[in-house]
Amino acid sequence: MAVILEVLNLTKTYDNNVHAVKGISFSVNSGEVFGILGPNGAGKTTTLEMIEGLRPITSGEVILDGIKTAEQPHLVKQRIGIQLQSSAFFQNLKLTELLEMFANLYGSTINPIDLLADVGLKDKANFLVKNLSGGQKQRFSIATTLVNRPVMVFLDEPTTGLDPQARRNLWDLIAQIKSRGTTVILTTHYMEEAKYLCDRVAIMDDGEIVALDSPEQLIRQLLSRGFKPHTEVPPATLEDVFIDLTGKTLRD
Amino acid sequence: MNQNTRSLLALTKASFKMYYRNKGAIIFSLLIPIALLSIFGFLSKGSGTSVQIGLTNHATGAISKQFIERLKSVGVFNIKEITEEEAAAELGKGNLDLQIIVPENFGVVENGKPLSGSIQTRFNKAKPQSGQIANLAIVEIVSNLDRQLTNSPSVLDVKSEGVSTNNLGYFDFILPGILSMTIMQLGIFGVAFSFVAMKASGSLRRIQATPVHPIYFVFAQASVRLLVTLASTSILLVFGTYFFGFHMIGSYLNFSIVCIVGILIFLGIGFAIAGWAKDETQVAPVANLIQLPMLMLSGIFFPRDGFPSWLKSITDYFPLTYVSHSLRKIANEGVSLAELPVDMIGMGVWLVVVYAIAVRVFKWE
Repeated sequence: MAVILEVLNLTKTYDNNVHAVKGISFSVNSGEVFGILGPNGAGKTTTLEMIEGLRPITSGEVILDGIKTAEQPHLVKQRIGIQLQSSAFFQNLKLTELLEMFANLYGSTINPIDLLADVGLKDKANFLVKNLSGGQKQRFSIATTLVNRPVMVFLDEPTTGLDPQARRNLWDLIAQIKSRGTTVILTTHYMEEAKYLCDRVAIMDDGEIVALDSPEQLIRQLLSRGFKPHTEVPPATLEDVFIDLTGKTLRD
Repeated sequence: MNQNTRSLLALTKASFKMYYRNKGAIIFSLLIPIALLSIFGFLSKGSGTSVQIGLTNHATGAISKQFIERLKSVGVFNIKEITEEEAAAELGKGNLDLQIIVPENFGVVENGKPLSGSIQTRFNKAKPQSGQIANLAIVEIVSNLDRQLTNSPSVLDVKSEGVSTNNLGYFDFILPGILSMTIMQLGIFGVAFSFVAMKASGSLRRIQATPVHPIYFVFAQASVRLLVTLASTSILLVFGTYFFGFHMIGSYLNFSIVCIVGILIFLGIGFAIAGWAKDETQVAPVANLIQLPMLMLSGIFFPRDGFPSWLKSITDYFPLTYVSHSLRKIANEGVSLAELPVDMIGMGVWLVVVYAIAVRVFKWE
């Protein structure tokens, strides 16, 4: 499979000598969903922002779709879609107006209603962002990353703070983006989310990648090292109970 | 269309929509100056229209007679001829706005040469507005007489007569001041708060995630603010003219040019504050610290002549002083921009200084 993103010895050191990212290397294949997992402060967001060209790189190299981010950040931004961790949008603008504005910033032409329909917000076209629920906001935020038909979409903790229904709905949306051939790179705290969505995951801790493989392979490796879960894993989880009782229907 | 132009247009369109959908802010930004204009308008329609003058004439010549005749011909002047002591006492009680003392040698010509004789005026510091305006009129009358004495061409004389404040009242003095105040507030407060809110919420950062540099968004915001502030000043000008008979002696073009330069200065201050601050809580104290002294001390509500000289020399350099002074000179006296070199240079320097500081302190995050 073709490599679309190549990260080599990427390092971020802040002025106060904090080593946020310590020389990590990995590559992402075209069309896959790549997850970066890790506890808070592991360096996930800093890594994403350096790749996206939003944060200066201390050392190392990022090559995205053949372009070096450090040299041509604008060209890179032109080809990718970025969802920031806490996405906020201008107040007093309707969803369609925001989408049109963003499309214009990339020089692309879109039909905002079609795009909203793709993320299940067609009936909210004339709403303001502040009147959307948490899950709807995240879906809208993802819609804004698609206005330039990006080769790669970056989603920073897209499901944090959502209820299980909204989270599963967002999983469907991400799977749908992948099915169109767009590469997705996402960060998350939720392991079941990573397992469900990601073809491969990198587990980060303290600015370093401690493991990188497919979720299944990582689990197999752990078991082969003789790992035994503390308790018998029940065939269903509490979340399965919750979804069974409250249904899959979106509540927002 | 060029991509930069397209981005700028898209951001300007968005900025404009964000602005006009915020109806509450628009109404409030106009409500306060309109209320102020109305208050001062009604005040100056009442007592303000007649200026109480106590006159003591020590001179006997024809010139002094002419002077007094001309004074009396000014409609708004109510002149009582009383002794110096009486006048001083009345002035102290606030019954007089202005005391005029004509010296013995005023307008006396000896050996073909006029003796120098200065008229002394004193005005009530508690009500400086009427005294100031009257003073202006008197200076005008005296300089006319002076020209007659020294046989200057009378053409100038006729022109000055037209200006001689027959109709100029306190309202004509106050309107340019309130316009300047509005320009300052829309520039500093209007921009600083809304822009820092976009910065704090992260919506500005979302623009940074696109290929467009966020400076385009600053330009878009600035151009919308410039247009909106110009529209507001026009509304206030029309309001003042229609309801309270504001007189524009000078050119509307010069007036607009000063307005635009003023708006640019205060927008720059607003963006500098918003660029420096992290959130709204940092904006309020700084914006007030900059704005309040100017509001109080730039002579927008009353002339600064009553200030102690050290305070006057400090306030001379305030950007709002330059703006309100030149607007007033254009509106009340019809002077051209070339006749206001100090104000023009002052505003030019502020424009450079403000934007230099803004660029220095601006942080996108």
